[in-house]
Amino acid sequence: MSLPSAYTEAPVRRFDVGDRVAVKAWYPPGHRRTPHYIRGKRGVIERVCGAFANPEELAYGLDGEPKRVLYRVRFRQRDLWPDYSGPERDALELEIYEHWLEPA
Amino acid sequence: MSEQRPHDMGGEPGGPIDTVDHGMKFWEKQANALRNTLSRRKIVRLDELRRAAEDLGSRYYELEYFERTTEALRTVLIERGYFTEAELRSKMAEVRRRYESA
Amino acid sequence: MKQHHDHSHDRSFDDGPPSEYEIMSRAIQELLVERGVITAEQVRMRMEQFDADFPYRGPRVIAHAWADPGFKARLLADGKRACAEFGIDLEAERLIAVENTPQVHNVIVCTLCSCYPRALLGMPPTWYKSENYRRRVVREPRAVLAEFGTLLPEHVALRVHDSNADMRYVVVPLRPAGTEGWSEEQLARIITRDSLVGVTLPKA
Repeated sequence: MSLPSAYTEAPVRRFDVGDRVAVKAWYPPGHRRTPHYIRGKRGVIERVCGAFANPEELAYGLDGEPKRVLYRVRFRQRDLWPDYSGPERDALELEIYEHWLEPA
Repeated sequence: MSEQRPHDMGGEPGGPIDTVDHGMKFWEKQANALRNTLSRRKIVRLDELRRAAEDLGSRYYELEYFERTTEALRTVLIERGYFTEAELRSKMAEVRRRYESA
Repeated sequence: MKQHHDHSHDRSFDDGPPSEYEIMSRAIQELLVERGVITAEQVRMRMEQFDADFPYRGPRVIAHAWADPGFKARLLADGKRACAEFGIDLEAERLIAVENTPQVHNVIVCTLCSCYPRALLGMPPTWYKSENYRRRVVREPRAVLAEFGTLLPEHVALRVHDSNADMRYVVVPLRPAGTEGWSEEQLARIITRDSLVGVTLPKA
């Protein structure tokens, strides 16, 4: 019996670990799981989480298919906040769906 | 550019944090268990509940956490046809009478 | 500053007249039970799990990771799988464990709502759900940690994890000095809930 995993398969995807990406500076109305503070910012793919039903559609009673690839992306805090006073190595990581990302 | 929804607050200025965990009242534990039971059984989806809470607009900040989640649950269950607004109001009156006569 | 998961603020009954929302929540449940959508027993059992089961799982998993380096490596590779191996069913939650080291400290937040690994840690503390935590910890994490009494040296990088989508996070704290030879039960007792979110450090 195989144990459940945190991750799902995402064999077809645009990005891999280490890729430099930019989060789209895009402001559509409605339910989004991409916080405003990260839009337009640049980071690096830290992990591929897998493919999941799109929460932006699930929120309105749709089935969210086809699944979208979800990535963990790492950002330097100094790239996010103009007044960030902590050390250079301080980072922020969060999950971004592929359709919110462009190559940087 | 569309209006920033009230829940999307990361990076906004804020005040001191009350670092003590104030726990949950009994009704809040029950509300949490109810919401959790419904989402596990896919009677409602968490994504719908989140969206309904975000749609509260300025009321988002006027309500406490479990008040928001209850408001959102009401919205989604009515959307999905589990009961009507009138049926809920009627049941609430019945529950209120029961508390008052206890 | 709270050091232990403490139920003393939980109320097994509420004083005073019920609020509008307490009545609404109660009414919603009764309508759904009457219509056969759920049972009151299902809700009651879930309340019990949140109180008596979930909050005690996190410290046991992390104590086991401290005691067993192979398990720790598996936990860091796939949190959900390692918990399942340990006999803990996280249900729908997809757990990622992030490790504190002498060079890196991690802290968790959900800025958009209150996503939290509930099946591993129980209910989130009120401060985790508070607007000021959600607003500030992504932008000034060191100042926020200082409010919890945690001061990090400059040579330790601080990583903030915003659990904004499908994954859930737990911190594997650094095992404190002076705990050599301790049993897993002894270790679990010093692993506080707050240290698993990353705002405090466990103390021997």
